[in-house]
Amino acid sequence: MNRQSRAGRIILEVVMVLFSLLFLYPLFLAINNSFKSFGEVMTDVIALPNKLAFGNYEHVWSFINYPKLFLNNFVITGVGLIGIVFVSSIAAYKLARTKTRWSGFLYLLCIMPMLIPFQSIMLTVLQLSKDLHITESTWGLGLLYWGFGAPLAVFIYHGFVKGIPKEIDESATIDGASGFRLFFSVIFPLLKSVTTTIIIIDVMWMWNDFLLPLLMVNGSPDTKTLTLAAYTFVGQYTSDWQYAMTAMVMAVLPSIIVFIFLQKYIVKGVVAGAVKG
Amino acid sequence: MFKKMGRKVSEKIEFGLFTLPVLICIAIAFYIPFAMTIRYSLTKWNGISKHPKFIGLDNFKQIFLHDTNFTQSAWFTIKYAVLYIVLVNVLAILLALVLDMKLKSTTWLRAAFFIPYILSLVIVGFIWKFIFMQGFESLGASTGWGIFKLSWLGEPGLAFISILLVSIWQSVGFYLVIYIAGLQSVPDDLKEAATVDGAGPIRRFFNITLPLLAPSITISVFMALTNSIKVFDVILSLTGGGPGGTTYSIAYDIYRDTFQNNLYGYGTAKALILFVAVLIVTIIQLTIFKRREVEA
Repeated sequence: MNRQSRAGRIILEVVMVLFSLLFLYPLFLAINNSFKSFGEVMTDVIALPNKLAFGNYEHVWSFINYPKLFLNNFVITGVGLIGIVFVSSIAAYKLARTKTRWSGFLYLLCIMPMLIPFQSIMLTVLQLSKDLHITESTWGLGLLYWGFGAPLAVFIYHGFVKGIPKEIDESATIDGASGFRLFFSVIFPLLKSVTTTIIIIDVMWMWNDFLLPLLMVNGSPDTKTLTLAAYTFVGQYTSDWQYAMTAMVMAVLPSIIVFIFLQKYIVKGVVAGAVKG
Repeated sequence: MFKKMGRKVSEKIEFGLFTLPVLICIAIAFYIPFAMTIRYSLTKWNGISKHPKFIGLDNFKQIFLHDTNFTQSAWFTIKYAVLYIVLVNVLAILLALVLDMKLKSTTWLRAAFFIPYILSLVIVGFIWKFIFMQGFESLGASTGWGIFKLSWLGEPGLAFISILLVSIWQSVGFYLVIYIAGLQSVPDDLKEAATVDGAGPIRRFFNITLPLLAPSITISVFMALTNSIKVFDVILSLTGGGPGGTTYSIAYDIYRDTFQNNLYGYGTAKALILFVAVLIVTIIQLTIFKRREVEA
């Protein structure tokens, strides 16, 4: 019985590992073909490249101005993230600590937009952004993310603040801290775990977002994101699959590298975000 | 007394300082655009002329009575959402059950299934387009299997399946980790007690594991529903709505009307319908699941 079940486990283990390799095979094919010449891709997609050449990468790197794109992504995500964490945490804290009819209403006002699908407002968001002169700018897009990211962040922070005993605020008040000082020196450090969760889900979202950047910053190569550049690139090189796959790999590589190093935290953060959200 | 009043006022100022920033941000991102959407939906507007022309509910009449694109994309979205929700959740639960058995490779497996989820959907669509168009040719040549010789993006039925498969491939890891977390909260002694009582693995699953997974199922179905109703990116890069315009989802149809056909008023009317649909579905789902969970 015992021996049999151990054999069964080993078989299951082997089957699952094979299945997972098959599952990732498309990614492998993308990487594989990014090292090939046009002729090699056309004759056989599955064969390994004749030699490990980085010619495609050099071409795509300078053609799409990769460092600039990377910087754009970084600015958009960074500006967005700092704002979301800042405005959401202070608001959620105040709303959770104040017990009036107003605070309940305002809290609802903050979280209700989670029900609005982005496509329902995409046109008018673009219109309004044009009126506010924040289109075609990485900073402008980052600023806009403050509002798009806030509802979920307020929701998660609000739930967490309610679990922090009020006595902590009170004893800090006696010690003379108040307002923003009280919040940032006493409360915000206690929110570390939820802040991590919010950082993880928001970075994944903003880094990979497509439709909002397409509307906001697609006009010039100076403001494009990695995903947008990959999208335009494929449009221009419809049949040059070797370049297209190189662009894809270059666009996703940063995410994969970060994931390999922070796997545990990312999975944990995503689960926590889903369970609370 | 003055001191007290002063404190009240300063408390109010502080309340404003803490909450106003977020309210302004949310108003700019959601509430003002939403009000503008309602207004534009009652107009005929190409986005160029200065003044949209007010036409009352004509857009809505046109959409519901004469717009075959809309009906087609609505059907596509419903079919897609139902199949996606069922398949991705069943697959994720099955994988989670295996991964919960504490195999040696569990860490690797979880990471492997999760990786596609961290990638942008547009890019996932392009990679799969390459696989379907070029990769399958080579695979067909080397294996001789008929399955690789079908036109996976060129035939309406198959293109639908391709979109479904790629979406599931990209996101199954997300649902998987939620279910793994859910399974880890099922107490082992409960399962052991059931084993001692003579319950087989299948009965154990349906009578103990599944009911205790209810909260995870609620979350996952909710997420799958909200994501699938809004499906857009992956279709854009995988099929571009083709073949023959058969794979347009509602979100994509709205995008086509507003940004490709410049029907700004008409497109926003559709966008408003999408919002109402999402709202109704969410409310129904929340009430059903809340009731169920209380019983369990």
